[in-house]
Amino acid sequence: MKAMVWREAHKWWIGMAGFVLLSPALFAQWPSHVTAGEPRTADGKVNMSAPTPKAPDGHPDLSGVWDRGTVPGVSMQSTVQPGGFGSTPPPGPRPFQDLPSLFPDGLPLQPWAAELRKQRFAENSKGHPDAHCLPLHPVQLHSHPQPRKIMQTSGEVVIVYEANDGLRQIFTDGRPLPVDPEPWWFGYSVGKWDGDTLVVDTIGFRDMMWIDEQGTPITTSGRIHERFRRVNYGTLEIEVTVDDPRTFTKPWTFKLNQRLMPDTELIEFVCAENNRSLPHLVGK
Amino acid sequence: MRIVSIGLATGLTTAILAFAPAGLFAQWPDYKAAGVPRTADGKIDMKGPTPRAANGKPDLSGVWQYMRPPGTPPPAPPPPAAQNGAAGGGEIIPAAFRTSQFWNLGASFKDGLPFQPWAAELHRQRVANNSQDNPDAHCLPIGVMQLHTHGQPRKMIQTPNEVLITYEANSGLRQIFTDGRPLPKDAEPWWYGYSVGHWEGDTLVVESTNFRDMGWLDVEGSPLTESGKIIERFRRPDFGHLEIEVTIDDPKAYTKPWTVTVYQRILPDTELIEFVCGENERDDRHLK
Repeated sequence: MKAMVWREAHKWWIGMAGFVLLSPALFAQWPSHVTAGEPRTADGKVNMSAPTPKAPDGHPDLSGVWDRGTVPGVSMQSTVQPGGFGSTPPPGPRPFQDLPSLFPDGLPLQPWAAELRKQRFAENSKGHPDAHCLPLHPVQLHSHPQPRKIMQTSGEVVIVYEANDGLRQIFTDGRPLPVDPEPWWFGYSVGKWDGDTLVVDTIGFRDMMWIDEQGTPITTSGRIHERFRRVNYGTLEIEVTVDDPRTFTKPWTFKLNQRLMPDTELIEFVCAENNRSLPHLVGK
Repeated sequence: MRIVSIGLATGLTTAILAFAPAGLFAQWPDYKAAGVPRTADGKIDMKGPTPRAANGKPDLSGVWQYMRPPGTPPPAPPPPAAQNGAAGGGEIIPAAFRTSQFWNLGASFKDGLPFQPWAAELHRQRVANNSQDNPDAHCLPIGVMQLHTHGQPRKMIQTPNEVLITYEANSGLRQIFTDGRPLPKDAEPWWYGYSVGHWEGDTLVVESTNFRDMGWLDVEGSPLTESGKIIERFRRPDFGHLEIEVTIDDPKAYTKPWTVTVYQRILPDTELIEFVCGENERDDRHLK
């Protein structure tokens, strides 16, 4: 048995030329697999409102394939700009593209950071790592249109991203955050349980990374504080606090909800394969 | 802090071998894992008992490093030309170096691998081209077999329904489903294929199909076609060692199935580091 599944295009946020040249949708197939032990309603569908599953150690089990994070309480959140890159975006919060759009007054950017963001956007975001098949920042990966899979063991939570070979390790074995670690694309993450919430602290990012498509930066001194809570079977709530005094005048916090994608798996996505977009990226 | 050197150059084509630095140095925090058997002097007891998962199966989890099969002499050191960063004339990679499993899976067979005629010719061409089309040289996924023998470490994470292998090399990631699902029929061909596993006693038996066509099983380019099947038997005989018996069953490329055993040892108290092959990649244009 085969299921035809399509995933929306995910390359539209790179430079304008890339937007024009890449096909509007990526089609992929993979075997339909009905996961055993899932709560189902009478009509056979997965019951997304069923209770939160528990791991053998009694903590909530965050494992599963999860869809992109969206801002709670906002029904329509387009990931695609109908007019293409640079056109007037639809109203409403767009966490993947534009984190300031989540706040009435935007983000508390330091002047240099506001200027850098302006430059990056003016260059059609052509310097964005995603456009070069390089790793994305964990904050941006939370709202990436391609799905992610969480695997939880008693000592570690792994998040595997379909996008650009993303892999994040969150150590929950009690180790402390390292002092002065080697800067990494994904930073170094440790987590602990606070009741039913997994609290994760991450430091050690590379400098001048991008946490949204339009170029909001984070520096190597930045720290991310995340609170993961699986409120029911089908919903994962993630609260993210970004604390980087070099970039922002004060810490700021936002929430995303991810929805479970049952009975499916990640597909292989090899960004660098036959990549012909690079010479076509345009910007100032 | 500790400093770890990765034998990066072993994984690439001869051209890259000549251009790449002799070693890549990276640091990461020293963290002593809890619950690990140790000898009186605090070292890991490699011959300690096989750890068990909560469901009673052997737990294959850990960071693993490739090791030469027992009784195999060490490969010759890289030639001076490569160490100096200059492509010397003559034989760039000495024959003794090309006997490793990573380089040439057929080296341990008296008559080499049982190639079909076309596969022997393709293998010959790939060797003659200095393996310049090996996916590893282009930051593309390396494939199941080269990853088993790769010099960069890999980490296994085992849960009751799935075994995940994350490879430091080229962002490799392999999922082995152990939840009882069957192999798919005629699924989308993938670099890593589609893998399902089940336990036979203390051995994890993994079957994989749905590979992309014309894969590279070793640096010399012994091929695997899309009709190929790989059967792996993973066994952790003690705390510190992993044995993987691999059978390649691909009648299109080989006249009969053949089997090799790969040995790995645990790398304790450490973690994989980030390795982003495509970052500032400038080797590609020098391949020849």
